[in-house]
Amino acid sequence: MDREDLTPAAGSPAKPSGSFGRLSSGFLAVSLLSGAALVPHYDPAAALSSLESIASGIPLGAFLRGLHAWSSYGLLLALVVHAVEVARKRTEGQLAAGVWWRAVALLPLLVLALLGGFVLRGDAEARAAADVWRGMTSSIPGAGPPLAALLLGGPGSGLGAAALHHAGTFSILLVILTVEHARVVWPGTRPSVLAALASVGAAGLLTVPLGPPPPGHGVLLGPWPLLGLQGMLVDLPAAAGWIVPLAGVLLLGSLRGAAGPARTAALAALAALAAGWAAFTLRILVLAGH
Amino acid sequence: MSSRRDFLGEVWRWTGAALSVLGLGVVWKSLAAKGESREVDLPSDLVQRLSGDGGQGIAVGPLFLTGTPSAPKALSLECTHLGCRVAPLPSGAFACPCHGSRFDSEGRATSGPARRPLARAVLEKRGDRWIARI
Repeated sequence: MDREDLTPAAGSPAKPSGSFGRLSSGFLAVSLLSGAALVPHYDPAAALSSLESIASGIPLGAFLRGLHAWSSYGLLLALVVHAVEVARKRTEGQLAAGVWWRAVALLPLLVLALLGGFVLRGDAEARAAADVWRGMTSSIPGAGPPLAALLLGGPGSGLGAAALHHAGTFSILLVILTVEHARVVWPGTRPSVLAALASVGAAGLLTVPLGPPPPGHGVLLGPWPLLGLQGMLVDLPAAAGWIVPLAGVLLLGSLRGAAGPARTAALAALAALAAGWAAFTLRILVLAGH
Repeated sequence: MSSRRDFLGEVWRWTGAALSVLGLGVVWKSLAAKGESREVDLPSDLVQRLSGDGGQGIAVGPLFLTGTPSAPKALSLECTHLGCRVAPLPSGAFACPCHGSRFDSEGRATSGPARRPLARAVLEKRGDRWIARI
């Protein structure tokens, strides 16, 4: 289906599934602005101490960091709900194939950006997450080790590459693909205000962890959206770390153009993946003694 | 019949494609060059502190030292599952904090997802210093 299909046929108006899509654009705006405010105070060569300085040394520093973290998590949640919305309303056909696949790519890109942000903490949990990210990426046949070096730098090379991709590559790609998909730069006042209020509320109420984990925890936990992946890697081979997310992305992408039993099968497989993800999240939380 | 403009367009396209492949190759080669074995300088005062009686070893950067001052041994603290840093336990064993792998005091994998033993570093004495290669 091409761009012409964006024009609804007479008598069957297109039904935009964009309420959570626009909300996710609002969260993206809050995340980018708060992230930009943090950049001058962050030093990848002294990650943990610079974050501690942000938390205690600059006015509203801890709040700003919370705003960045919670708006980014809000973006992920809104994006997932938007994907469910699209699948339910079957509106994916309104996008040209290329635009649809690039919109689907927003999800893994955002997860990589979130993982990068988690790694930039520089504390014990962040170092462990970086090690796992490197190990998992390196397990991709052929391309693995160079790809790991591209994303994280060489072994023992610090957080420079991760910081560059977090604030640069991934953020720029997220903006470009979001604007291409939504076909607007400004998501509108209502979703932006709603996203800002939700992020401000979360940042005011909830502290973003930093520093050593609570004593007595034998397992260091990664970022919460990826706990399912962490649990999965306890029982499945390391390659599952990239094969399962890739399968999820391909299944979601394949919804466009799939009809009848093929679409039902793709949706069932996505539901099974989501259920498995939840089960493995529980698995790692139990292992960690939560 | 193709015009001169078409021909030049083709030349530009193929030149661009060749340069792209070449550029990717250069990037690939530079990225693939990472990850070679590295050397760790072991401070001689730490090596001298090894008791050799099976007591606690000493963590030095990415390594865990055991043995005696004259014949030290070094295990890599990098989990063989996905590369997390394993933690030495009071029992002499090692535990991975990422996915729960366990290793005995010799570095053999005993439980969890790791299958291979912890890597053993090659130690070499250069003058007064010990160098570990991992």
